[in-house]
Amino acid sequence: MSASAINTITAATKSVVAEAQGGRSNPFLLMPITLFFALLSVAVLRAPSLMSASGIGAAIIVVTPLILATYALMASTIAGRGTIDLSVGPLIGFINVTMIQLHAAGLLESPIPVFLYCMGVGAAYQLIFSLIVIYVRVQPIIVSLSGYLALTGINLVILPRPGGTAPAFMEEWGFGIEIFSPILVILLLATTAWLLFTATAFYTHLRLMGSDERAAYTSGVPITIVRIGAHLISGCFAGLASICFTALISSGDPSQGTTYTLIAVTALVLGGASLGGGRGGVFGSALGALNLYLITYVLSSFNFGSVQSFVTNLAYGVILVISLLMTLLIPVIQRYIRNFSPLLYFVALSVVVLGIILHATFDYGSLGAVGVYVPGPFSLQAALTAPLETASLTTETEALRLAAAPLVFSSIILIIVAVFLRLAIGQSSRRTIGPAVAVVVAALALAGAYVIAEGANTTQTEVIK
Amino acid sequence: MDKLPQLSLPARILGLVIGIILTVIGIGFGFAQAISVQIIILSAIATLVLFYWAWRYLIGQFIDGEARHTDGLSPLRQAWTQYRWPLLGLGLILLAFLLLSLTVEAFFNIWNVISLIILLVILVLTRTLGRQFQQNRSAFIGIMVLAGLFSVGSMNIEGFSSGNNIKSMLLFASFLGIASVGQTLVALLGGLDLSIPFIIGGANVGLLYLIGLGVPPWLAVIIVLTIGTLLGVINGLLSYRLQGQALIVTLGTGFAISGGVQIITSIGSAYSGNVFGTVPAWLSNFSAMNGSTFGLPFPPVIAIWALIAIILIIGLRTTVYGRYLYALGVNRTSASRIMISEMRYWVAVYALSGFFAALTGGLLLGWSGGGFIGVGDQYLFLTLAAVVVGGTSLLGGAGGYGFTVIGVLVLQVLSSFLVGIGLDFKWQQFIFGLLILPMVALYARSPHIRTQI
Repeated sequence: MSASAINTITAATKSVVAEAQGGRSNPFLLMPITLFFALLSVAVLRAPSLMSASGIGAAIIVVTPLILATYALMASTIAGRGTIDLSVGPLIGFINVTMIQLHAAGLLESPIPVFLYCMGVGAAYQLIFSLIVIYVRVQPIIVSLSGYLALTGINLVILPRPGGTAPAFMEEWGFGIEIFSPILVILLLATTAWLLFTATAFYTHLRLMGSDERAAYTSGVPITIVRIGAHLISGCFAGLASICFTALISSGDPSQGTTYTLIAVTALVLGGASLGGGRGGVFGSALGALNLYLITYVLSSFNFGSVQSFVTNLAYGVILVISLLMTLLIPVIQRYIRNFSPLLYFVALSVVVLGIILHATFDYGSLGAVGVYVPGPFSLQAALTAPLETASLTTETEALRLAAAPLVFSSIILIIVAVFLRLAIGQSSRRTIGPAVAVVVAALALAGAYVIAEGANTTQTEVIK
Repeated sequence: MDKLPQLSLPARILGLVIGIILTVIGIGFGFAQAISVQIIILSAIATLVLFYWAWRYLIGQFIDGEARHTDGLSPLRQAWTQYRWPLLGLGLILLAFLLLSLTVEAFFNIWNVISLIILLVILVLTRTLGRQFQQNRSAFIGIMVLAGLFSVGSMNIEGFSSGNNIKSMLLFASFLGIASVGQTLVALLGGLDLSIPFIIGGANVGLLYLIGLGVPPWLAVIIVLTIGTLLGVINGLLSYRLQGQALIVTLGTGFAISGGVQIITSIGSAYSGNVFGTVPAWLSNFSAMNGSTFGLPFPPVIAIWALIAIILIIGLRTTVYGRYLYALGVNRTSASRIMISEMRYWVAVYALSGFFAALTGGLLLGWSGGGFIGVGDQYLFLTLAAVVVGGTSLLGGAGGYGFTVIGVLVLQVLSSFLVGIGLDFKWQQFIFGLLILPMVALYARSPHIRTQI
């Protein structure tokens, strides 16, 4: 059954809004992307140290368990029937504490058994979950509530207070001093696995079942198998999340269950997924979790003293509610933008934010005592010809160039953004990304030229010194 | 009352006779234990009335269903096909009991055997009698579980059925019960309210803060209740257009409320999150164990809960507002066709939810004597559990506050039973989790997908 047929069925059963949810144009990603870049800009401007190797490394270490927990929640939520797995946090905690205790007992030393154990336990729990939902036919949220209470209790029995040591091979994972850590590899692999999974027919069945189970059943989708599969995937993600969580804290902690559940549900919704089922993906989920991390990060850069955590709570709540209310505007936006492409929107905004990041982290002091004129990046012409020029320029020309540089730079940026927005709005319906690729290549060429010019400058200044 | 089936005269006389015998036994025991005469008379009347009502209700249902089994299969085979799963369950329980007696020393004593028999009888009764109930199966099962737990508890644990223990169970049950009012009403419309614990904590801290500022306590209570209601209205308005996501909207407002209240109360205070002050004596009396209601030896909060429960149960069953609530919960479209404003009811139930959460927070202040923002944290999922165990559907339109009362009592008796046999909080929570599922599975199974098309 092809994707378009599925879309037709969905459109027939749901309203017009549902029609545009399929394929690449998912307008519900509009909010998380906007929020992400807004928060990122503020974070970089407030605390530029985020954009260093150790800053990004630490961010990855902290945020990966959240992202994976959100993935775990997402996989089962897509399956529909209001499957909001409240037990995802305690499940991660359960895998964490049992792994620590088994490690203390001398088992689970090397990576492969640890990974197999974690993903196996997660998958086994979710298998039981799905079997109960399918055969006992109780509402999934009640099953998850039951699992939440039971696992929270048993976690405290297994490990009464935080403690223990993680397996030896994990000890260096949690330092977060460099960007390319094993944690990042796990995250990328998990994301890629889901993206590959979305190319299968199974995924299409899953989404159909999530948005309308009866339609799926009457179309001959084996809903039992699809539901079990969704839960198995969710369990594997939960296992990975608990590995990353263990690496983060290097020990066992039985009391994080509630926090992780609430954060994962929040991140899922912030990422534009539907709690009713049928809509959600790794892109939105990862953005949702990142947004939550960035909110905390931005707020911690302001010093509120003893009320810090309360302000964080307040901001969490307000941002959550506002971004949910903004999703009500999406049908209005859709009236004007028929085929919104989240990918192009993301790329366009990321160019803008890249400029902000460069501005925030660029060490203007290193350019010498020019001071008055901020020497922005040069135009392509100047960058390419400057090393070739033998005759020295007059000071007036030099000053004029320096004065014009920011103008030139901002106009280039504006042009790029304008072209991208035009493409995002106009070309996205054609399902080709040729023009976008051309613009990306052009932008890369510009950036390369800029770097070359920069290198030439610094060598020049060194020579002068 | 026309729903009650008519019993034949001999059956009614038999019920009356058994009831009177039971009452006489109760009176005898009462005098033997030297309890004051008023209480004996009260409990005797209660016993007689309750028993006779139950007799009419239960036996009537049973006799009604008796005529159905007329197919040609042999009785044994019929019983097997009809009660396959319960029989397997019974076998499993017996097996577990045997294993436990063989492995654990001193497990095989007379009390445990009697407990086992009671457990089995309850299971059998639930499966056999429970089938006769179409409407109130969950209430019946809840009452059976309650009775079983209570009898097993009073046999095995010393002081379980003493007046003090019952009083403390009722005290904690009334906190949970008042907190669950909102959750029940919201669930009747198909929503969820996760902001309840945060409003409880906020009201708890805010009330003490206001009293500490020098506001007269009665005014402070009114202010806190008003603010709680207003927050509920805000919850309702915000989540009205996002009904599928009501869970997450209320969670968000809950975070905001808890953060906001703490910021206000901890400005200029060294102890963030905690507020210190003196609680007025009348408020302590409201919810302390040794409080008294018009001279009677039980805390007024129990009376308040009973009053709220009676008003709500009667109100939901008989008033037009209650019936409209059910109508909306079952089918929005048809409800709007008869001019019921969905918006008004949605906001109203959330407002009530905020009000009762604030009330719980205030009463908890009287109980604990100090403000603490995290006082409501355990109610986050416990209110949900009480609603679910009681038998109110989270999809809306089925259930009621009477069911929630049973759910609250079951949870409370279960938890004091577990405390009594020496299990601490974490084991309690584990067993709670494991028990919710089978209890709900006994009555809240949704039909198979093929029958929904």
